[in-house]
Amino acid sequence: MYSIISTASIQGIRSVPVCVEADVSDGMPVFEMVGFLSSEVKEAKERVRTALKNNGCTLPPRHITVNFTPADIRKTGSGFDLPIAIAVLAAMGEIKAESVKDTLFIGEMGLNGKLQPVNGILPMVAGAKRQGLKRCVVPEENVYEAQMVTGIKVCGAECLRTVLSILNGESDCGRVQKILPRDEVCEETIDFSEIHGQHFIKHACEVAVCGMHNLLMIGPPGAGKTMMAKRISTIMPPMSEQEQMELSKIYSVSGLFPRQGKLMERRPFRAPHHTISMQGLAGGGILPKPGEISLAHKGVLFLDELPEFQKNTLEVLRQPMEEKQVRLVRISGTFEYPADFMLVAAMNPCRCGYYPDLNKCRCSANEISRYIGKISQPLLDRIEICVETPRIPFRELTGRDVEEDSETIRARVVLAQRIQRERYQKESFDFNSQIPASKLESYCTLNAGQTAYMEQMYKTLHLTARSYHKILKVARTLADMEQEEKIKTRHLDEAICYRSVDKRFWNRDREA
Amino acid sequence: MHYDYWLANIPGIGSKTIQKLLLAAGSAEEIYRMGEAQTEKLAGIGLKLKERLRDAKRKDFEREYEELRQKDVCFTSSEQKNYPNKLRNMPDPPYALYWKGELVEESACSVAIVGARQCSEYGYAVAKELGVKLASCGAVIVSGMARGIDAGGQWGAIKGGGKTFAVLGCGPDVCYPSEARNLYAEILNKKGGILSEYPPGTQPRAGYFPCRNRIIAGLCDCVVVVEAKERSGSLITVDCALEQGKDVYAVPGRICDSLSAGCNSLIEQGAGIVLSVEELIEKLGLLPTHELNCRNFKNLLLEKQERMVYCCLGCQPKNIETLLRETALSMSELSAALAKLIQKEYIIECFKNYYIRRL
Repeated sequence: MYSIISTASIQGIRSVPVCVEADVSDGMPVFEMVGFLSSEVKEAKERVRTALKNNGCTLPPRHITVNFTPADIRKTGSGFDLPIAIAVLAAMGEIKAESVKDTLFIGEMGLNGKLQPVNGILPMVAGAKRQGLKRCVVPEENVYEAQMVTGIKVCGAECLRTVLSILNGESDCGRVQKILPRDEVCEETIDFSEIHGQHFIKHACEVAVCGMHNLLMIGPPGAGKTMMAKRISTIMPPMSEQEQMELSKIYSVSGLFPRQGKLMERRPFRAPHHTISMQGLAGGGILPKPGEISLAHKGVLFLDELPEFQKNTLEVLRQPMEEKQVRLVRISGTFEYPADFMLVAAMNPCRCGYYPDLNKCRCSANEISRYIGKISQPLLDRIEICVETPRIPFRELTGRDVEEDSETIRARVVLAQRIQRERYQKESFDFNSQIPASKLESYCTLNAGQTAYMEQMYKTLHLTARSYHKILKVARTLADMEQEEKIKTRHLDEAICYRSVDKRFWNRDREA
Repeated sequence: MHYDYWLANIPGIGSKTIQKLLLAAGSAEEIYRMGEAQTEKLAGIGLKLKERLRDAKRKDFEREYEELRQKDVCFTSSEQKNYPNKLRNMPDPPYALYWKGELVEESACSVAIVGARQCSEYGYAVAKELGVKLASCGAVIVSGMARGIDAGGQWGAIKGGGKTFAVLGCGPDVCYPSEARNLYAEILNKKGGILSEYPPGTQPRAGYFPCRNRIIAGLCDCVVVVEAKERSGSLITVDCALEQGKDVYAVPGRICDSLSAGCNSLIEQGAGIVLSVEELIEKLGLLPTHELNCRNFKNLLLEKQERMVYCCLGCQPKNIETLLRETALSMSELSAALAKLIQKEYIIECFKNYYIRRL
């Protein structure tokens, strides 16, 4: 007897349809599995055999062959236990062939037949729907995730027996699982209005979000850099449904999809510790998984203590920052993860954190220049806005002034971003930060007076071509925030205050 | 001269031993020509020293000396006529002196500008101003080419069209600190000199710097300390200068600034106080060659908001956030005022988003 079952495998955040075929025929009693399997899939053989036995279905002493198609992609993950078991049962004639038609099976199985949740349910179910399947059977704990896809029937099963009763039509397969409210309660609400004072930095954050510029905050410990960074995602415009789905898929593949019964609506904020490895940041590993940059997709990637990060770890950020996605090429295939994030970095001005307050700073001149030297210049080149945050005086900390809340700021951001989207309709980019150098002149036009002014500033401030371009982009954003069509001199002046970090500030040889 | 070079370069023999040997034997050449038996007769000569002398005689020092000359490094010893007289007068003068460029002229008034490496922007500006004005009055500036105040003073001298001399704690052909390479080249360009008591190729060592400070003190007529912490290396130069009977001046600072603590305590101990560069020039008996201008706030052409921002600024770096608070201007008004002030060169951005007045 022969049977065929639909299941899926994950590659990047894409779902690849996989079929599990089983055949039971006469011959030497063997249970054989073929089809480019990774070791965890090979081990499924023992789990399935025992689980079937414990559920009253001993395998007959016959030649059982299980094949996975297509045979040219490597099958990884633990979700193949259930499809193998169903395929074998169908081949044995225990299940009718028509009852498994147009059904997707995913699930890991314990020795007693209990189904365990697996990662990547969301893209797999979405893929099944695209493929035209009508129904999916997933472990009960994955139901909330599978239900995010509309237009396909989701059946949750807690063990093999339940699956069998669903297939035999004895049990209702449309059972809707109760949503667990646990994560909802834990979600803390953060808002910009909780930060007192620091108007300069707050404004810089707003400018950065408006033009999707990357941001670097320099300041002594306790100046509120982390607090500020955490709140940046709250002033970003809400995500479209497509963006929500994309982000949810990334989290599903990583096993981080929140149990909330809806797609991820909040923009992510990721703050990896500075000891993170290259693979942790960009994604990778033997079984490639999305890294922090993908988990920060459509949100904020916050790198605190920037100089403490390994230099080569930071280097991997360069390509994803340009391409908005990361491509990992491994022996088992090419994996693509979206990584369209806003980089927010924070650092102390020096090792002790007090420079340029020379009464408090204990660092030698050498140590100070070495500290900034740790950050790679190519990365600094990709950061358009850089601001210094001083400590907040007590007066402001306890101030009664009512501060603007995130919603008010967000309304302005939405407006400024809409202007940019309209302007760049015919372009391949959406935001001012992404204007390529070749188009800079047409979008950031200066009049003759402004050009002469910038020429003088170029000399006085020792600007470079790159930092000049960044000033223009930020000035464009400032003009958009005021709904001005042309860049005004005041926008240039303000952009100069935000201009990217100048390594000369850390170097005492001013005359060079 | 060859023999002097030979004597100066015997490993394990310092200038004290050299003086002892010279006292006994007369000159370097005589020490070289002495036989074993004669050497033994010298008073106070140990077995080790004897061995070292014997080993050193096997060296091809004449070729080494020629190589030195080819590298444009000059050499002299305290036995020679061209050895600076100012150094002869100091206690324990270095026997050997290597230099590139020129030697300090005996007649010129030479001023040492010394101070902290990690100086404030204000301190750097003061050092540079001192350098410019003293040099334009004909003084030569002697310093150690270190970061901060030293470099400020020497750059000032170059900008002021004068000569400046650097004394290093390494060989004269080694540029230390390496970021001072522009200064190093510029000193030589402007007919100044790089001096050292260490032979070419010697790498800097912590122990060499106090000795180099001793030479700085020896070469100058007076020392000006611009900024120094309570326990600063610059105070070694001051101690040497006092020991050699040179004048010491200090630039006063605010009592809460740790960078001025050293200067203020020098003033308390009786050092001269620098009230203004002009006054110092007068005290040193130098004639100003041109009218000195001083920036007077009232003469500045400023708009209302620029004036307000300028008034908030001083010699201490102030952050933009503080300025926003103090002036109550909007971000775009403040940034415009700052940009205009920077453009007019009334203020500078000394660190990211920190501003100070220019001197």
